Amino acid sequence: MVKMKISFILNGRPAEGEAVPAQTAVSFLRDSMDQRSVKEGCGIGECGACTIIVNGLAVTSCLMTAAQLDGATVETTEGLAKSGNLHPLQESFIQHNAIQCGYCTPGALMSAKALLAENPEPTRREIRKALAGNLCRCTGYQQIVDAVEDAAKAMRGKTDGEGCR
Amino acid sequence: MNDNDAQFIGKNALHPRVVEKALGAPIFAADLGDGNQLVLKARRAGVHHAEIVSIDTREAEAVPGVVRIFTSADIPGRNAVGIIGNNKDWPILAVGKVRSKADAVALVAAETEAAADAAVKAIRIEWKELPAVLDPEAALLPDAPKIHESGNLLYTRLIKKGDVEAGFAASCHILENEYETPMIEHCYIETEAGIGYFDEDGIMTIEVATQNTHYDQADICAVLDVPEEQLRVVQAVTGGGFGGKLDISVHGFIGLALLHLRRPVRYFYTREESFLASGKRHGMKLKLKTGVDRNGKLLAVQGRVLSDGGAYGSYGIAVVTRTGVHLTGPYECPNVDVEVREIYTNHPFCCAMRGFGTPQGALAHESQMDMHGQALGLDPIEIRLRNALVNGSEQATGQIIHASAGLTDCLKALRPYYDEAMSVWMKEKPGRPSRKRGVGVGAMWYGCGNTAAANPAAAHIEIDQNGQLTLYSGAADIGQGSTITLLQIAAEVLGVEPAKFKSVIADTKYTENAGASSASRQTYISGNATLQAATLMADALLERAGDQLQSPKEDLALAGGKVTLKSNPAVGLPLAQLAGSMHTLGLPMKFRGYFDPDTTPLDPKTGQGCPYGTYAFACQLVQLEVDVLTGEIDIHRVVAAHDVGRMINPANLVGQVCGGVAMGLGYGILEEFAPGVESLKDYHICTSTDVPEIVPILVETPEPTGPFGAKGIGEPSLIPTAPAAVNALEMAIGERIYALPATLERVMEACQKAGWFEKLEV
Repeated sequence: MVKMKISFILNGRPAEGEAVPAQTAVSFLRDSMDQRSVKEGCGIGECGACTIIVNGLAVTSCLMTAAQLDGATVETTEGLAKSGNLHPLQESFIQHNAIQCGYCTPGALMSAKALLAENPEPTRREIRKALAGNLCRCTGYQQIVDAVEDAAKAMRGKTDGEGCR
Repeated sequence: MNDNDAQFIGKNALHPRVVEKALGAPIFAADLGDGNQLVLKARRAGVHHAEIVSIDTREAEAVPGVVRIFTSADIPGRNAVGIIGNNKDWPILAVGKVRSKADAVALVAAETEAAADAAVKAIRIEWKELPAVLDPEAALLPDAPKIHESGNLLYTRLIKKGDVEAGFAASCHILENEYETPMIEHCYIETEAGIGYFDEDGIMTIEVATQNTHYDQADICAVLDVPEEQLRVVQAVTGGGFGGKLDISVHGFIGLALLHLRRPVRYFYTREESFLASGKRHGMKLKLKTGVDRNGKLLAVQGRVLSDGGAYGSYGIAVVTRTGVHLTGPYECPNVDVEVREIYTNHPFCCAMRGFGTPQGALAHESQMDMHGQALGLDPIEIRLRNALVNGSEQATGQIIHASAGLTDCLKALRPYYDEAMSVWMKEKPGRPSRKRGVGVGAMWYGCGNTAAANPAAAHIEIDQNGQLTLYSGAADIGQGSTITLLQIAAEVLGVEPAKFKSVIADTKYTENAGASSASRQTYISGNATLQAATLMADALLERAGDQLQSPKEDLALAGGKVTLKSNPAVGLPLAQLAGSMHTLGLPMKFRGYFDPDTTPLDPKTGQGCPYGTYAFACQLVQLEVDVLTGEIDIHRVVAAHDVGRMINPANLVGQVCGGVAMGLGYGILEEFAPGVESLKDYHICTSTDVPEIVPILVETPEPTGPFGAKGIGEPSLIPTAPAAVNALEMAIGERIYALPATLERVMEACQKAGWFEKLEV
């Protein structure tokens, strides 16, 4: 089968891979680019487990083709921790017990990161709205909302220490 | 030990694998392997009920990349699985006939996903269709087609105590109503997934998302006709279970392919295959008649329940037994007459799902309790307080609940929230005149552990010569946090931080059977096994230290990774030194703990006996707003008071409570696995915007037989939510809804019945 070359920025670094024409972005990222944090939970854009950030926007990678990543700036959960240090969102998800089974976690982290980039001081309602596309069957969402709220505080450099329980 | 003394119990501690999960590390079954495994895919029946006339695999075998196609003829052992020992009724691959659309008829092994898909389509099956039985009542008619040779009635559970007719005769208020609950989907975000390979010792190994590796191993060994030492089952990090990963799914197929092909394989269900082939929560029809005296005390409960078990038994017998045992609700009642029947139909098989038959019953008993309260002018908390099981109460099966009956404490904890909701929140004016508010209460009790059956767990704790401690437990952690809970128990006994332990979990090669991570049993049962193993280890360490310090054991304590003199904590021996000397002396370094709760079988005719070692109790409050012209429901708040015995890890407990409430709200107002549901496009679970802020309240009533007093929480968290929501809807609308879920249509129907369309017409 004809393969096409996909050149893009993956987690801040130039990356290149080969995809077949109809291949979904989630399949390409998992199988060709080793981004196993990107989970396929439904294949039809309903569960959000495959959420990645493309050019600053949180999108479901099961509804995109690999070809659409060509030339784009792509972020996955693999790129969150920098030189061994967890991202404040990851730290906060852990501290708030926002992770139970962990399958929805990477997708939720991506949605949260995109939200905070656009709105560094979201209300709880705004956090819930931004995460409405990321289904979680374990937590009831409350701890995820707490985690994002607290990470936002930490990222604004105004952490008052009350957030971590 | 009182709370102030505890070092690690009642404190939060992080799950050993949580950092990997936060990093998105490749730890789930779908992430494992090198990508060179053969792909497995089952050909499913697609028809409800049919005889197989012929299966032609020739065309499929010719598809490039296909390695082999298996049918039932390739199964060397017992082609039947099922968790309940005497009811193994489910073939891995169909023999002669199919009983549900999901039945697997053939299995393809291929080099690629595309080849596997093409081959599945190319398998030709000739059917002789049989009439489908899709209604449990119809399934019981004398001329109904038989789904299994034994007939369509799988099981009847009777619970009989006292004289129910006398109870009704003495009652001043009697209610008789019918309720209906739907099948629902577990809908874990990770679909069923597993890989197969030969491990470093050349043993066939299945690494799979599961809630019970040891059951998997036993049933698959029987299917493959191999001894247990030739098959290893390892739990992959599992993306949720809720009861749906207790049955054999991909594992049987993986085992069959490994056995014949001796090559690594993988099988991951798509969401569509998961919806089609996974077990569901039992749909039930319940008739409940209850009578109370003038003080609101329950005098008689009579229940008749039909449970749609679908095509195969799975946990069905246990599910309906639990429905029957719990049908009085968490209340004292001297006269009980309950019959619950589990019926085969051609629906998807129904299995365990969070609550195991009690959420269905809770809709009925909690609706009745509210209606009795209304009739007698008692508020929902007061009537429940008057009936609550307390220490010393006898429940429906004749068991005396000696301790830790925490419902009264939970109701009292809920009281201020209820009063505030009624006196303040209900008085506020909603945004639009068509929006009406309601407050509802639901309560529950739940026996921790399997029902009236031996359900032991073993656990081991080992120390190596350098003092490294390791916990070995067969208890599958599916995200609920059982591993850290067990580590905290061991840590408390040994005075070593939980994070300093290694843990080996749910791997049949290294861990002993701990039973299923189901029935809210692991904290209680594996917790006790771990406590015993840790206590034996502590004793050995103290003994050794006593010799070396020339001091009696009683004068020594374990703390901070040392054995120290109680009188002078500065004098002590590090565990590493003690372990080194134990090793040199050839003393035991690994200790086994074991626990099996004290239960007795239930009498088949009366259901009398002791089904559980302990019970969890809870009550919840739901505040909601309904638009009586559009049917739209807005959940405002849920307050959830749960008696956990004793908190081991509060954050984990809160996690279970909030997660259970969210799932319970879905059960109450959204979810129904109805015909035509194929995937998440047709099936909606609660999103972050559907779930309100939840107020979890953890109540402690230490259970004398629990580890440090602890009991289970996983299922109790879901059970009261839907009934509380239905009761709140009744207050808001003025009409009761008797069937779940309270969909837009059902709410609109109730609003219409209540006359809101006329009342609010402009």
